[in-house]
Amino acid sequence: MGLQLTNAQFNQVLARLSAKYAIYAPKNFPLEGRYSDTDMVRYDGITQVEDIVFERKSDMSAKEIVTPINETIMFFFNGQVQESKIPQKEILIFARACDINGFKRLDDIFLRNSETPDYYYQRRRNKIKFIAIECPSQGWDTCFCVSTQTNDTSDYALAVKSTGESLKIEIKDQEFAEYFADFAQNSTCQYQYQPVLENELKLTLPVINSQEVLTRLKNHPMWKEYNRRCVMCGSCTVNCPTCSCFTTYDVKFATDSETGAGERRRMAASCHVDGFTDMAGGHTFRTSAAERMRFKALHKVHDHKQRFGDNMCVGCGRCDDRCPEHISFSSMIQKMHTAVEQIKQELNHDSK
Amino acid sequence: MNHDIDVKKLRVNCFRQSKVAGEFMIQLRVPGSLIKAKYLAVIQHIAETWGNGTFHIGTRQTLNAPGIKYKYVDEVNAYIQDYIKEIEIEACGIDMESNEAGYPTIGARNIVACIGNSHCIKGNVNTHELARKMEKEIFPSHYHMKMNIAGCPNDCSKAHFCDFGIIGLTIPEYMPERCIGCGRCATVCKKVATGVLELVNNKIEKDMCCCVGCGECVSACPSGAWAYSKQKFYRVMIGGRTGKQTPRMGKMFLNWVTEDVLIAVIKNWQSFSATILENKPLYLHGGHLIDKAGYHRFRELMLKDVKLNPEAMVAERIFWTETEYRSNINVKKPIA
Repeated sequence: MGLQLTNAQFNQVLARLSAKYAIYAPKNFPLEGRYSDTDMVRYDGITQVEDIVFERKSDMSAKEIVTPINETIMFFFNGQVQESKIPQKEILIFARACDINGFKRLDDIFLRNSETPDYYYQRRRNKIKFIAIECPSQGWDTCFCVSTQTNDTSDYALAVKSTGESLKIEIKDQEFAEYFADFAQNSTCQYQYQPVLENELKLTLPVINSQEVLTRLKNHPMWKEYNRRCVMCGSCTVNCPTCSCFTTYDVKFATDSETGAGERRRMAASCHVDGFTDMAGGHTFRTSAAERMRFKALHKVHDHKQRFGDNMCVGCGRCDDRCPEHISFSSMIQKMHTAVEQIKQELNHDSK
Repeated sequence: MNHDIDVKKLRVNCFRQSKVAGEFMIQLRVPGSLIKAKYLAVIQHIAETWGNGTFHIGTRQTLNAPGIKYKYVDEVNAYIQDYIKEIEIEACGIDMESNEAGYPTIGARNIVACIGNSHCIKGNVNTHELARKMEKEIFPSHYHMKMNIAGCPNDCSKAHFCDFGIIGLTIPEYMPERCIGCGRCATVCKKVATGVLELVNNKIEKDMCCCVGCGECVSACPSGAWAYSKQKFYRVMIGGRTGKQTPRMGKMFLNWVTEDVLIAVIKNWQSFSATILENKPLYLHGGHLIDKAGYHRFRELMLKDVKLNPEAMVAERIFWTETEYRSNINVKKPIA
């Protein structure tokens, strides 16, 4: 059983929810797109249904709410350190299945990658509940969430489907039923969250089953084209719901002060950008676009899986949407699959 | 054949004299250079019915059909009535009579424009929409004027080489909270523009003084830390010209003006021309007209009753740099 509320009715629910929750959703930022007179859709606090962009996939992912691009984590003053504060409210995020599954990957990295969970991630993450947004039946033309098996989710308190003038709502977490009590009698409908079951894009992910296959794939000529095509801007990592790399730097409030007053910030980093993981003495691990692309691609569809069991990539296709050079990661995955199968055949042949 | 043809009258009617006696080339205006593709059939019909079957893309982006015999001029003029009505009266909103007499004047030439931001990834403004607004201000007027509109400082449509060149600009807005400190905007600015950005402790500092307003920083940014300004701005280059006497590149008259200011300024062009030419619409290039007036007189007349926006800057003086056709100081006969 579900509910169907007009946008105005749902706005009453949002008003009530906002006493306890900071509510985030994909929102349109007019004229803030990459090109002149284009818009940007990214996450921000919302107060009404009309703020939410349902008809278009967001350019940026929901990760920005829990891992902001810039976050001050602590302040220093006179040799003392003080942790930064975050808002007290709980957090509700309108998100698609890819984004919700993306948070699972972020959890892998921030909470499960070492014995000590990441404090600054955890303090926000603990506050989050999701409102799943139902996607168009096949998603969008760059989506491949079915191929990455991240098309469905059960990690939501509420699920919604917009019809334009109204919302169909599934209340999964009964703690939220009270917010809808006024409408429970007269607004019922048959609605249950439906995941995307088929995308236009259908991929076969590479299965790298030995160190030898991995080594040969790393040295495969398929990567070379990215030296020519990729401009190493990092757009694909900034908007990826699963890229979690950050760097840390300090800001001194005044260079002439003896108090040492300042702050430490985290700032998103990108493996495509110069300076990433540079070492003392100036050593850089990967200098070419092709090496950086290979590093990222293997992380997305192999390395993470080796460590945590799931592929990192959630098939949202935002990297394809945002790449200024029209490099398609889904095409790259296909090329990797073809290359891996070819390598396996060569190895079979060699062993005979 | 009747050889008594008033070629000056025909030129005003947008028919250009051919070296073949009694033949002319019609030039259809395409203000802002973008029209529905269906109008190609109009020029094709003219070329194949009354012209010599060929089509010329005019250097000022007109649709030209050469080889039209004088006796067909009236038929062509009658045929283009609908085209003129749809383009000039309907699309540009010009208050003019629709009749079978063809173009009423050639004074203000066709407004040249690049494709602008309706297509181009570099474009800051919609050049066609602006051109249509400008067309309304300058056409039909017998006073001579060549206007070019470029969507960005790349100036593909050569705003630097016309009487009144308009270049679309942005003053990008920086959102440090979205900046990942990669410095790509600074690198790109240095490489393709003027190098006004610097990465200082992972955030960008900008020297607004030398910014050309291209918006490359916006499209270079991976994280959306730069956005085009909601307000669009324009640069105006004046007095550029080609020609046999003293060709020269135009110089900056206005920088960072808004569209409202631009329109208010261009509204003064006719009164400026009339004042300097003593109300006689002589055939004189705009650059020579500005020379005749002197820059300061030009500025005074063009900015009359114009309320400038706070960002606007106006040239104090102009130092023209003309090609030294007459002095030949830099060319010599090779020593044998």
